[in-house]
Amino acid sequence: MSLTTTGNLSLNRKAGAATSPSKTGVNPIPGIKQAIKIAPEEIKLLSQYIYGVSGINIEPSKAYLLETRLGKLLERERCNSYTEFYHKAKSDGSKLLEKQIIDAITTNETLFFRDANPFELLKHKIIPEVVDSRTSSTPKGMPVPVRIWSAACSTGQEIFSIAIVLKELLVSLDKYNIKLMGSDISDAAIKQASYGTYNKFEIERGLPRERLQRYFTSIGDNWKIKDDIRSMATFRKFNLMGPFSGLGKFDIIFCRNVAIYFKLEDRVKVFEKIADSLENDGYLIIGSTESLTGVCPRFIPKRHLKSIFYQLR
Amino acid sequence: MQVLKILVVDDDPVTRSLLKKRLSKLDYEVETAESGVDAIRMISNTYYDVVLTDLMMPGGIDGIGVLETAKESSLKTEVILITAHGSIDNAIVAMKKGATDYLQKPINLDELVLRLAKIQNLKHLMKNASDLRVAMDVTEQASGETIQTLELAVADLEERLASIRSILTQSGVPPEDRIGKALAR
Repeated sequence: MSLTTTGNLSLNRKAGAATSPSKTGVNPIPGIKQAIKIAPEEIKLLSQYIYGVSGINIEPSKAYLLETRLGKLLERERCNSYTEFYHKAKSDGSKLLEKQIIDAITTNETLFFRDANPFELLKHKIIPEVVDSRTSSTPKGMPVPVRIWSAACSTGQEIFSIAIVLKELLVSLDKYNIKLMGSDISDAAIKQASYGTYNKFEIERGLPRERLQRYFTSIGDNWKIKDDIRSMATFRKFNLMGPFSGLGKFDIIFCRNVAIYFKLEDRVKVFEKIADSLENDGYLIIGSTESLTGVCPRFIPKRHLKSIFYQLR
Repeated sequence: MQVLKILVVDDDPVTRSLLKKRLSKLDYEVETAESGVDAIRMISNTYYDVVLTDLMMPGGIDGIGVLETAKESSLKTEVILITAHGSIDNAIVAMKKGATDYLQKPINLDELVLRLAKIQNLKHLMKNASDLRVAMDVTEQASGETIQTLELAVADLEERLASIRSILTQSGVPPEDRIGKALAR
């Protein structure tokens, strides 16, 4: 999950023909319906609602996100104002609308091997070290456990990139007991991750042709991850704001570009819980522009070549 | 907007020259191939934004063959197939293999131009998106380097401060000695 608009340009999503691109509200184009505007008091109402269900913090300066991301849902629900929309979402016992709001408000901008550095780090340092230490603590003949969590896996690109690295590095995987878990707050993202199917825009960058051909099957204009990679990962819906009970411990946690959407106080709580979920000698990788300074003193940053990773003190 | 580079593939010389003439007039950059074999050779040498190919062609390589080569050479190439009237089934096969669109003979030029305009729009959006991604990558990389350097520097300073604190609070050592040791850190 990270913030850019490219996800919304995804061309396989049919743009609602009735959605007006006009933001100003002046010069309405005859015959084209105007988008419903959000009022200042509604910004507060919706922001608080979204914070409550997802922990995502929408600053007043980013209020336009509410219009650009929720506008289509509003029309589909045939609501005439954001207030009406809010009440509809609140009173929906099935929580279906709540899910759709979370899907719409979260950013699913992600790529295979997004930012090559963490994957180089994984390949050349972290995996060898984890395998080494787990091998020595595992009885001979038993599969060596390696547990990795992608804490905001979006549509699965990160965890499948990790799976590809493992496959290329460890060769005979049956000597290992590998657990790759991807979680995200968006049902729609988890669903797509589970299918493992991507359109050509989603695989265009980050994946060289040979990897694409080795690990994907083409289906028309789409690409589906092959079963041997797909079956390495499991996916579940998970809200980082909630308790982490029952999650177990991990050797490696990827938590990239998700905490940036949270308030500082929530970031502190999330990384505390992540620290509790990490093995004592485990590794944490955060986004390249994120920092844990002033967030979680239990972690110390360490450098390996061009990347930083974190370990518990 | 960028000029679309189009390859027209048709074994009929009249269709070829007609399409070339009309599309060139609309400021598209047009090249032609008279067979599937010819087209495949050209596609392997040059990138085309759009390949407009007849489905049924003599000479061993038909429109599907051209489509497959085009898609293999570049995922960015859009392929429009021209099918005989009433052969929807073939068109569906082609669409499943990644064709962008199909037109039925006889070709309605207005329709073709509309489809090309749509593709051009799409390409334009894609270019915008890709430019944005590049801009994001560059910004992210530069800021990432700065942040990571600071992160390590702060961690190092924090450690030094902690050690200075513990030296200064040592018991049983005269204050001057403690300060001296602390300053040496």
